[in-house]
Amino acid sequence: MRKQSKFLILFLAVVLVVGLLSGCGKKEETKGPDISRGEEETGGKTTKEEVKEEIKIGTIGPLTGDVASYGISTKKGVEVAVDEFNQKGGINGKPVRLISEDTRGEQTETANAASKLVERDKVTAIVGGVISSETMTAGPITNDAKVVMISSSSTAVGVPEIGDYVFRNCLSDEVQAVQLAEFAVEELGLKKFAVMFTNNDYGLSLKDAFEKRAKELAEVTGIETYNDGEKDFRTQLTKLKGKNPDALYIAGYYTEAAKIAQQAKEQGLDVAILGADGFYSPILVELGGDAVEGSVFTAGFFTDDPAENAQKFVKAFKSKFNEEPDMFAAQAYDAAMILLTAIENAGGVGGEAHQKEMLKIKDYPGITGSTSFTPIGDVVKDIIILKVENGKFTKLR
Amino acid sequence: MSYYSQILTVIIINSILAVSLNLVSGYTGQLSLGHATFMGLGAYAATLFALKLQSPFLVSIILGAAVAAFFGFVIGVPTLRLKGDYLAIATLGFGEITKNILLNLKITGGPMGLRGIPKVTNVYVAAAALVLVIFSLNRIINSRVGKSFIAIREDELAAESMGINTTRFKILAFVIGAFYAGLAGGLYAFLFRYINPKDFGFMRSIEILCMVVLGGMGNTYGAVFGAAIITILPEFLRSVSPVVAQYRMVLYGLLLVVMMIVKPQGIISESSLSNKKREKSLEKGGL
Amino acid sequence: MVFEQIINGLTLGSTYSLIALGYTMVYGILELINFAHSEIYMIGAFIGLIMVSVYKLPFIVALLLSMAASCLLGIIIEKIAYKPLRRANRIASLISAIGVSIFLQNAVLMSAGPQARAFPANFNVTNLRLGNLQISSLQLIILLVSVVLMVGLHLLIQKTRLGQAMRATAQDKETAQLMGIKIDQVVSFTFAIGSALGGAAGVLVGIYFNSADPMMGFFPGLKGFVAAVLGGIGSVPGAMLGGLFLGLIEMLGAVYISRYKDAIAFAVLIFILLLKPTGLLSRRIQEKV
Repeated sequence: MRKQSKFLILFLAVVLVVGLLSGCGKKEETKGPDISRGEEETGGKTTKEEVKEEIKIGTIGPLTGDVASYGISTKKGVEVAVDEFNQKGGINGKPVRLISEDTRGEQTETANAASKLVERDKVTAIVGGVISSETMTAGPITNDAKVVMISSSSTAVGVPEIGDYVFRNCLSDEVQAVQLAEFAVEELGLKKFAVMFTNNDYGLSLKDAFEKRAKELAEVTGIETYNDGEKDFRTQLTKLKGKNPDALYIAGYYTEAAKIAQQAKEQGLDVAILGADGFYSPILVELGGDAVEGSVFTAGFFTDDPAENAQKFVKAFKSKFNEEPDMFAAQAYDAAMILLTAIENAGGVGGEAHQKEMLKIKDYPGITGSTSFTPIGDVVKDIIILKVENGKFTKLR
Repeated sequence: MSYYSQILTVIIINSILAVSLNLVSGYTGQLSLGHATFMGLGAYAATLFALKLQSPFLVSIILGAAVAAFFGFVIGVPTLRLKGDYLAIATLGFGEITKNILLNLKITGGPMGLRGIPKVTNVYVAAAALVLVIFSLNRIINSRVGKSFIAIREDELAAESMGINTTRFKILAFVIGAFYAGLAGGLYAFLFRYINPKDFGFMRSIEILCMVVLGGMGNTYGAVFGAAIITILPEFLRSVSPVVAQYRMVLYGLLLVVMMIVKPQGIISESSLSNKKREKSLEKGGL
Repeated sequence: MVFEQIINGLTLGSTYSLIALGYTMVYGILELINFAHSEIYMIGAFIGLIMVSVYKLPFIVALLLSMAASCLLGIIIEKIAYKPLRRANRIASLISAIGVSIFLQNAVLMSAGPQARAFPANFNVTNLRLGNLQISSLQLIILLVSVVLMVGLHLLIQKTRLGQAMRATAQDKETAQLMGIKIDQVVSFTFAIGSALGGAAGVLVGIYFNSADPMMGFFPGLKGFVAAVLGGIGSVPGAMLGGLFLGLIEMLGAVYISRYKDAIAFAVLIFILLLKPTGLLSRRIQEKV
């Protein structure tokens, strides 16, 4: 009797599983889930015929969880781009609809999100992932399905190599770090560098490239590491202080960088602060105060950029979300614009034709710089160098 | 791979994890908060064998599982001398230590993880593995070894005084659990083609524990059921409606609380909980 | 420089102690690992932030209000999520606690957004110098507040009737009940105090690092729990000691091998547990046959 009840339970479980899955499917078609912004030109209904009448693109990123701020910024940037396209009539007259999926920064979720977008929503193209590990997970899936995916923030090594259909438009860590090292030595006359890097792929690539170049040109006095989300860097800073550097290169994001700068100053390590594109954020100054005044870092974008398209973006972003855009939003906007432009060039379809059009993109005048792609989908781009002066960002180069 | 078959494959892999933890915590009564560690070790080992030594899929995952089992032994020997919540903390500690080491070693790719794993795992492969696991697990549980496990769970002192070498059996349960978890890890690696230390941390361990508890501790099919529920829940919530999708995790937390209050023994429970007995004896007054 | 490092370690450690106290007190009475404690800490920080930045209240007032709010939150959580499970097996309460933790963390995430917010100290922070040694007034204040709270707790537990009731309940719930102690009240009170301390820790840490974000509870919570076990879970002085000890170890680890500092902290924990399986200062009665 026991064995029987066990099998019965297993059977029920399987039935439940299958039932839930197919139940999901039915709901999907009638309700059409998506978190698109307000533009209701077509009402967003998803019956079989109307699916052909709109272009769907997806985003994959963390909307909840500890790296949610990057995912949410990215999504917002894409939304502005989608709005812009829809305002001028969509692509070949068809409106663009955005479907955003949350990954929580977690691998299984990312894979599920990617599969869902590609298979059930049948999106034409995707902007994502946000953190490199997401792109590494989602990439093989979207690549297999021949859906172009462009990441606006995955700077790790190996991303474009995932496949022909995986692109990125964000600054490569190595190039950034090398250029900043050169600038620091040649233009700023700094000679002894201490380094703090965040122990993830971003920080690691930056630190490796910076260290190598800085050692060639000058001297590296000490290197310490930390983890995102940490708040206390005093121990590491005390160590670095001991070697008397004249500059501190922080290879990480603004949240921690602001604190590091503050604590460094507190401890009497009052040196030039250098950083990478992770520094850029409207709240860097708010979080870091005096300590970040005068810091110099590489970036792809800043809101006071006088260029017309940049200002147009900032204005649109502010009026939609009532806040200033950060680096992630700006990069995402460019990525989405490039993606949609390529779809348009391909005649409104995705797949192989789209992928070919992506490769043809040359010197696209993005707000984060003039963008082109290498044959494997990596980006070729200028790098801006910014400085914090009187609480505002100014362009040095 | 289609969306549904991917989810199903993940359910199956999670089932293997759940039944393996169930052996350690459900049958033998040792609370482990670091089970995902063995999954991670198995995944990394299998991946390294495949990428560096070009070993074929089957060989890789079995070797991976063996490596995990080895670490199960290494970690189990000192840890299993502790009892109850101290054991739990120690397992948690080892989990964090392992994750930290994986994040910092060059050969494991550090925070970049390992990529370029060939795609081999699919529904059939995973299902085959699950069947083998459950089959062997049932054999173990119904044997004298299994009965010793249960005896340890029910009353460790009594078991000891009956001549059961509790430490040895606890370690055995731990090692077997680690083996299966490592196997699941290998399957996982060959499914997603990319692994990263963050995926095998404390939150994953907790997730596996939830599967076991929800389904009913000490019941193999219960664990499978729990794995299915926990895997499907976020996906289900995702597809109900965009509003719900945003509040997914909030609802998930709420649901866990509600499920426990409504059915604290887990949905399918067959085990004679030692705590129930303890409650009864306390009522009679005294340990 | 060593002195500075030690101060760093002690300051951080004292916040771990405050968190650890919350865990240990609840465990002593209910044998429950209150996973939601790390979220109470986080919510305490947010409430403190709101008091300081929106209502412009002075630090002490904000701290007290935040403690009061955390206190209330703790009581509510206990009534809803733990009390119904008191007769059930311990793992069920554990999972319920995890559920509460996930719920709270995401609820705050949804309402406040994921951005870290600046948490300014609204008093002047200066660096005090004694010869070559340097300590920030912020660190001093944190140490001071922590010590005051811990001393207060100690007095409460040792010198008041309520404290006596708490100790009795922790030792033997059934007998305490027979002696006329209202268990439910004592439990609520324990949660209240533990949560208040957690909330205070949140405010202190928020100011110390000038930031508050919805995920800030996870790691400190974990470390607070480790500190509680380290000191002997269920032992109040143990939690205090455990927290300070953990802070110092972490600092030492960071000085020598900063990449592995988390691993080192845990390794030391395990090592100590192996030597003294019930923690440094535990006085729990061993199982008798």
